[in-house]
Amino acid sequence: MRGQVAKMEVGHVSVQTTSGRGLSPEEWAEMCLQKIVYVGDQAIPAIRDQALAYRQEIKTVLVSYMTKAIKSDRTTLYNLLLKQGHKDMADILLKL
Amino acid sequence: MAFTGDFFCNSFKQELFEKLHDLKTTGDSFKIALYDNTATLTAATTAYTVSGELAASGNYTTTGQALTVAANPTLDTGTAICDFDDEVFATATFTAYGALIYNDTAAGDPALVVLDFGGAKTATAGDFTIQFPAAAAATAIIRIA
Repeated sequence: MRGQVAKMEVGHVSVQTTSGRGLSPEEWAEMCLQKIVYVGDQAIPAIRDQALAYRQEIKTVLVSYMTKAIKSDRTTLYNLLLKQGHKDMADILLKL
Repeated sequence: MAFTGDFFCNSFKQELFEKLHDLKTTGDSFKIALYDNTATLTAATTAYTVSGELAASGNYTTTGQALTVAANPTLDTGTAICDFDDEVFATATFTAYGALIYNDTAAGDPALVVLDFGGAKTATAGDFTIQFPAAAAATAIIRIA
C-alpha cells in the first residue's frame, strides 16, 4: 500500500510598475479581473470563450466605476481643500 | 547572486507542523520585503534578512510593507490555498529583483516564500505593484496539493 505524497508549491507573482504616474483604471481593472475571473488553460473551448466574454464585460463595468470613484474622490478632496482655503490647489485638482 | 526562482522555504514546511503560522485573515501579520540582485534567497532561507534588501530610499522602508491576507485558507479541488491582496508601493523610485514574504508576528521573522520577479522591475515616481496570482488550485501563491 502506498501513501499519498503532498506537494507544496509557490505561485508566481507579476509586477506592474509605472513611471511618473499611478496605475490607470484599466490597469487596475485588469489586475482585479485576474482575481475575480480565472480561466484555466485546460478549460473546454466553448466554456473558455464564454468566460472570456464575461470577463470583458466585467472589465468594462469595473473601469467605468473606478473612473467614477476617482472623480468622486477628487470632488471630496476639492471641497476639503476649498474649506481649508487652498483654492489654487483645489482648482488644479478639478483640472486633472 | 541573483534570484534563481520562486521557493517555498524549507523551514516554513517544518513550521507548519509546529503551528507557528496562522494564515487566517484574523491571524498573524505578514510582510513583504524587496531585494536587489545581490540577495541570496533560496529554499534554504529561514527568516527575514537585511542582506540584499533595498535601501530605505525612493519611498521604500526597510523590512518592507505589511501584506493583507485576502481570505481565509481554503480548499480548491483538494488543494489547500492561501492568498494575499495585491501590494502597492506608492510613489516609488527603486528597482527590485525579488521579494521575501515573512511572518512579522512570530519571533525571529520566519520566512514563508521567496518570490523571483524574473528580472529587474523599476518604478520611477510611480506605483510598484506586486500582483498575486488567482487563488486557485493551479495558481495560488501558497498551495499544498
